[in-house]
Amino acid sequence: MKELTLDMALRMLEAAERWAREVAGYPCSIAVVDRSGALVAVHRMDGAAMATTDIAIEKAFTAVAWGMSTFLGSRWLDPRNVGQRIGDHAFGMIGRGKGRLCLIPGGIPVTDEEGEVIGGIGCSGIPAGLEGISDTAVSQAGIVALYEESR
Amino acid sequence: MRMSLELEKRILHRAVSKAKRLGKPFSVAIVDDRGWLVALHRMDGAPAPTAEIARDKAWTAAAFRVPTTEVGRFGDPRQPGFGLHPHDWNDRLSTLPGGLPIEVEGEVIGAVGVSGGTAEEDLAICRAVLQEVGSRS
Repeated sequence: MKELTLDMALRMLEAAERWAREVAGYPCSIAVVDRSGALVAVHRMDGAAMATTDIAIEKAFTAVAWGMSTFLGSRWLDPRNVGQRIGDHAFGMIGRGKGRLCLIPGGIPVTDEEGEVIGGIGCSGIPAGLEGISDTAVSQAGIVALYEESR
Repeated sequence: MRMSLELEKRILHRAVSKAKRLGKPFSVAIVDDRGWLVALHRMDGAPAPTAEIARDKAWTAAAFRVPTTEVGRFGDPRQPGFGLHPHDWNDRLSTLPGGLPIEVEGEVIGAVGVSGGTAEEDLAICRAVLQEVGSRS
């Protein structure tokens, strides 16, 4: 399995920051973790709120922890998805993983050519409710840059 | 002068090239003047806990506005302030060498924390960082 290196992380951060600045127009924090969920690199852009740094790290960690985007995980907490029986929902996930799990959209796992999860990227700071602009979109910009580079 | 992402990237680039000359992988953390993390790079091969330790050192240096090693004197039973414990202050307090405040024109604009090598190596990287921004401390 390919290791996620600091160089790869910085390429992802560079592209994601450019997307946040030039397309989204909002400052944010972006974090990249390796396949054990350990932080490799994080940047907080000028003007982003100080809380965004830790939230970005938590989103990247959560994407690796479940091997799926936190956007999908956030649906577990949607009241419309709560079933009839106790245990049908995932409200119990809140605060788990020593408080590091974050079920807010914006974290995406990074996979290699074989589809193995080699790390994750998370973004925080983009306001919700904007058409086509979100934390997830910023993270995706980072992933695209990595894949285009390795093509 | 304030911390900016551009300045942090310059600082981290300098720190990583200094680390490569030392031939070891390190984690380097930069925090703002309030101690909040703004940028962190963990080099390939640096153990995962070094990231958090580097952040702790940077937080301590920014919060107390002195090198991390000087915070240790608060734990001296002969000194006032005895009893300061790492479990105070959000678990972040670190008195290990390798955290220095970044002071520019008499003002602390942030701090750097380094972890991964010996005390001397961690400090050498901190000093390279201070040189990069022209800090005197």
